[in-house]
Amino acid sequence: MKNTPFKRMIMVGLAVLALGATASANPEIIGEWQLDVDRSSALDGWQDMRLVISSKDTQVDIRHEMRWRATRYRATNTVDTTKSVASDSFFRVEQRHMAVYPTKGGVTHTTAEWIDENRTLRTETHTPVEVSQGNVNMRITSEYRIGEGGKTLTVIELHSSRSRPLVYFFRKIEEEVSL
Amino acid sequence: MNLSKRLIALVAICAFTLGSSAFAAKGRDAWVMNFDGDWNVAGGLPEKAMLVSLQGLTNRDAPKLYIVHPPDFQWEITEPLYDFYERKHDVDFTAVETADEAFSLFKKHAKGYVVWDKTVGASLNVAFTIAGLQDAVVVSEELIPLVKKHGLKQIDDLRGRYTGKTDAEIYQDSYDRYWDQCINDAVMLMGGHRGRTMQPAMADWGIQRKMFIHDLSANPIHPEELALTKRLYEQMDPGSTIFGWHPYGKDTEEQATTLLSGYGFKMEGLHNLPNLSFNSQFTFTEGFKFTNNHTVDRDAKLEAEDKIYISFVQSDSIGIGVWTKPGRGKLPFGWQVTMNWSKYSPAALEYFHESATPNDYFIGGLSGPGYMYPNHIPADRFPLLMAEANELMTLLDERVMEIMDNSAADGNVGNTDLTKETVDRYYENFPDVIGFINGYGPARTRDLRDTRPMISYDYYIDPKRPRDGVTDDLNELISLNAKRPYFLLVHVRESNDVNSLVEVTKNLNGPVEIVAVDKFLKLAASNKTYTTRYQDPDEPKHFEGY
Repeated sequence: MKNTPFKRMIMVGLAVLALGATASANPEIIGEWQLDVDRSSALDGWQDMRLVISSKDTQVDIRHEMRWRATRYRATNTVDTTKSVASDSFFRVEQRHMAVYPTKGGVTHTTAEWIDENRTLRTETHTPVEVSQGNVNMRITSEYRIGEGGKTLTVIELHSSRSRPLVYFFRKIEEEVSL
Repeated sequence: MNLSKRLIALVAICAFTLGSSAFAAKGRDAWVMNFDGDWNVAGGLPEKAMLVSLQGLTNRDAPKLYIVHPPDFQWEITEPLYDFYERKHDVDFTAVETADEAFSLFKKHAKGYVVWDKTVGASLNVAFTIAGLQDAVVVSEELIPLVKKHGLKQIDDLRGRYTGKTDAEIYQDSYDRYWDQCINDAVMLMGGHRGRTMQPAMADWGIQRKMFIHDLSANPIHPEELALTKRLYEQMDPGSTIFGWHPYGKDTEEQATTLLSGYGFKMEGLHNLPNLSFNSQFTFTEGFKFTNNHTVDRDAKLEAEDKIYISFVQSDSIGIGVWTKPGRGKLPFGWQVTMNWSKYSPAALEYFHESATPNDYFIGGLSGPGYMYPNHIPADRFPLLMAEANELMTLLDERVMEIMDNSAADGNVGNTDLTKETVDRYYENFPDVIGFINGYGPARTRDLRDTRPMISYDYYIDPKRPRDGVTDDLNELISLNAKRPYFLLVHVRESNDVNSLVEVTKNLNGPVEIVAVDKFLKLAASNKTYTTRYQDPDEPKHFEGY
């Protein structure tokens, strides 16, 4: 078959469509997600967690709302499925009774992609951390898996330094509808 | 009966009488009551408060009344210590079953009673202050008939006096009336549980010694209470002691301890530590000398191998901890000793010493001669306080000082580091220790000067953390701290179970060796794979101080 300009145009168009399908966020991930504490890996140095996820084009913002006793803490990580994002304020859900801290002045790099027919946002993060022996890198591979019907979100987080993943189960917080 | 037989009989009678007296003199008589676990204001608290106040008065001149608490009370040692008094101090205890019986025995030590208002919690503390100054027992309304039955007269009645008033107003009134009559080197911060439950088990001590007793807040959101607390502290003697604990829900442990540390004072807790009026009147048994289970010589020089060295320490005072739980002795364990118990409860220290296994190692702390936050101790107060700490460590044969400063922390997470100035002061004022450890939660203050390391906890074991989570955490630390040797200091919260820790240690990766904390520090001195670090001024603080 001849590779005519028309055919080339069709192929480019198909490619663009394909890229768009995997780069843009699955709208089901957008919203507020409440941690199911009983089903999840135990938090340490935190008592509760909520995720507020929003999106614009290929960018996904994941806001962590954490609670420890009377303390409330918020931090947002941004990922982009078309490029690596650098952040000097990356938020890691720390196990806070471990002496592992964000490196002062450290820059974290995160890449992201949609996989599994857009049902899973996969991120890979390289973040510098400070330990008693100095600064080292931690690689974190995370999968945000949207459950059937978009009512549940499972976040699986695997550290390069940890043999078992941390698994967090979330339920979507539905908005109350006024009658 | 002829003369010789009368003489023989007389000699026999004398011998028997003398023998009986000697037997009696060898033993000391005392009485014991058993408390249950009901500290509800609407339940068992009023009677307990009354009996604790009677205890403080009764024990003024001699240790007569001791209270045993149930095994699940926060202080687990009351029963073991009772056994110890019987066995090592020849105390002959007689059980007292009821409050009525207690008054029959001890009412002579009281001149009257003061009524507190059950609807105003702070009035109980004011009543305790009055009790100490005027030799009164403390009663609520329904207990008046009992004390009247025993001939006691009303000295004061606080019912209605403080209705509708704030705690600041109540304690200002108490200050105006009673402060000048109280001692100047101690107050009792009768905080802890508030509201429907109160546990003023330490009140006997405050009453015995005539302390001003209160539960004023150190929280800046209560400016009047804070101002009054400062006013008290400004009038107290250097090196004073704050007995008790911060009031739950009003302020935080961090705020209360930061405040008193700023005056160079020591905290001795908790609000529910019982029997000090009794315990303080005993010394160590004759011939007893503290000897620690040192695993290395003081001047030993060790060489660390390419291993992961782990050391476990429990602080929080061993009286409320894992000491009496099964499993102790299976792992080398460091135990932070409340050093001032050499004055306030020497029998307890001797009991711990006696029941120590070869794997139990005692260390000094917290931070000094009492619980204090060293980043806030005034520089001119530091040397004298630490001279006292050094004396206590010498008495208790301790070679390691544990330091804790949670002034900037958020509970047991966050910033728990020492400034360089503070670290400098410790090295200067403790020339004889083999090293220091720091933290409660994890921290990152580290140093090595001459042969003495300062190492912070790399991990804190929360008793609620599932054991596989603890294992994974420790293995992650081992993975991230890849240089060998790695020195992993672990703080064990007091309600952990040693047996579960044994299981955790079996699942750790790499060439792990668990060592006592003295050996740990000697090894850490031989190969500095850890960084030197102090508190960074840029690091956030949960509480900025005063």
